Amino acid sequence: MELIPILSTIILVATICTFILAIGAYILYKVREGRQQLVYQTKPNSVKAEVVSPVENPLNQYERSEEHKQGRHVEPGISREINVQERRPSQSRYTPEPRGYKYSNEKVSKEKSKVEQRLSDENKFLKYTSDGYISPKEDRNSGAVKWR
Amino acid sequence: MKLNQLVDRTNVTISNREDEKKSENLEQKYLRRILISGIISLLLILIIAYTLPYTVLSLSALLEYSTIVALVIFLFILLIRYFTILVMAYLYINEYTFLKDNDFSPFVSIIVPVFNEGKIIKQSILSLLNLDYNNYEIIIVNDGSSDDTKQIAESLVGYQQGKNNQIKISLINQTNMGKARALNAGIYYSKADFILCMDGDSQLAPESLRAAIRHFKDPKIGAVAGNVKVLNRKKFYTDLQALEYIEGLNMARSAQSYLKLVNIIPGPIGLFRRKAIEQAGFYSSDTYAEDADLTLKLLAKDWKIYYEPKSISYTEAPVTLQQLLKQRYRWTRGILQSLKKHKKLLFNPTVNFGHTFILWAMSYEALIWPTMNIAANAFFIFAAIFFGFSQLLFFWWAGLAILDLVTALYSIAVEKEEFRLIWYAIIYRMFFILIIDICKTMSTIEEFLGIRMTWGKLERGNSMDSKKLVIKTNQV
Repeated sequence: MELIPILSTIILVATICTFILAIGAYILYKVREGRQQLVYQTKPNSVKAEVVSPVENPLNQYERSEEHKQGRHVEPGISREINVQERRPSQSRYTPEPRGYKYSNEKVSKEKSKVEQRLSDENKFLKYTSDGYISPKEDRNSGAVKWR
Repeated sequence: MKLNQLVDRTNVTISNREDEKKSENLEQKYLRRILISGIISLLLILIIAYTLPYTVLSLSALLEYSTIVALVIFLFILLIRYFTILVMAYLYINEYTFLKDNDFSPFVSIIVPVFNEGKIIKQSILSLLNLDYNNYEIIIVNDGSSDDTKQIAESLVGYQQGKNNQIKISLINQTNMGKARALNAGIYYSKADFILCMDGDSQLAPESLRAAIRHFKDPKIGAVAGNVKVLNRKKFYTDLQALEYIEGLNMARSAQSYLKLVNIIPGPIGLFRRKAIEQAGFYSSDTYAEDADLTLKLLAKDWKIYYEPKSISYTEAPVTLQQLLKQRYRWTRGILQSLKKHKKLLFNPTVNFGHTFILWAMSYEALIWPTMNIAANAFFIFAAIFFGFSQLLFFWWAGLAILDLVTALYSIAVEKEEFRLIWYAIIYRMFFILIIDICKTMSTIEEFLGIRMTWGKLERGNSMDSKKLVIKTNQV
């Protein structure tokens, strides 16, 4: 017997079987799906959600709050309601803070005012003289700076 | 990995930004559609019956000739399609090979929507912590899971050690609203200009993010589609799908990427420009293929979409035929729903030619191609049984199998994939694609008739612990 007729018969049987398998499997799938109860949800206008995010260290918080003040990022779709800080795990489950370290708001505000003072417009353009750094205002009063 | 760190809990209200459709009587709409198509079919039959006696053809001859003409057209289109895709994919690879690297590394938010992914969420997050990129955060969105996903996800929240630095992981817990809304919630919460959306059951290769982000230096690029690979191989159906992903999906995506018009950004990995997502109107939950829908919306807004083969996402593929049919049923109906949403642009190429072209290509792949494939096979079976022309079927199969072998060889060589997959090309067209096409056709009919459907959820195995996984996860 020649090879091509044998192969042709094999292909024919395989294709018919594939057809039957595909249609059978599809019917079975539909039957199984049909048994599942359909639940239709109505779409609310807003979704209540809970955000769980890591507590940031105070210096990071300061940097980020500055970033927010600049108005670079907005959260258009989110409105915050309640902010509950939770210290979830027991103290023994994470590395203890180093001895002598005490976090206080005073420390942060002191740091903040120092930075603000340093970056203020007045202190940006100090002039170095033999008496040390002086502001351009004082310098202008002395009559040294003249605009042409 | 440090578990159970200090956390902040904040209750938020996330607005629903989706455009709600006007309510319409769907039953009447579908009934009208069935009636109109029935009347048109009846009219056609009457015209044929009336005009046939005036021609030289008998009814049986008409059927034979029309089938042969349809087959020749089908074969012609099939060859044109294959060679066009091959040539364009080759051109893309040429272009891609000489693409210059750059140091563009903006802050990226990775959104991981999860629904009952307790078994695998940890593996997914570990793969993200192993990314070869410094400037990113991870936002897990728990979409109302009923298993232990919430507890596991909460234990992961904190600053975790990434490959080079500390990575922030946050969690959003919301009631079950579907994948689209879960992704939207993550996008709303994120403050980054670039967003990577992925599936909760997927794992990214280390260089995925770095490879994809560089394309955004071009301001016209709105999104980058990644490369999806099957994770759970060495099973009959999953191996066939692995070949399909390489030969059928990735090669087509490469070809589309040459024109920067990728038609589907896959759910398991897609990197977006925030501005582009906002312009497109975020993910929509009114289709079952939210990824295809968003891609079409991006293309409609004239954003370019590129394909990055090195951005690899390993995902778990359906293992059984039932699961496979469930997945393909959802894909087909989702794509048809997305196409329906853009039907106005389908017939108006003057607005955005690229978009119209992609819409036609998708319509052809979703509607015409499967029907023609089934019709061709049915014709050969008919000819073999009733006229004894069984050799016709053999030559048809042999031609297609050779074509598939060549394409598989090319794609596997390009992607440096497993060579053992090539042999599946012999049964790929006549067995696997025939089953998929029958499912596609049935889904199309159901979509046409407006039969209601559910999302469905793939049952997970434990393949995520697979030893074959390429990603090395050192942090435990």
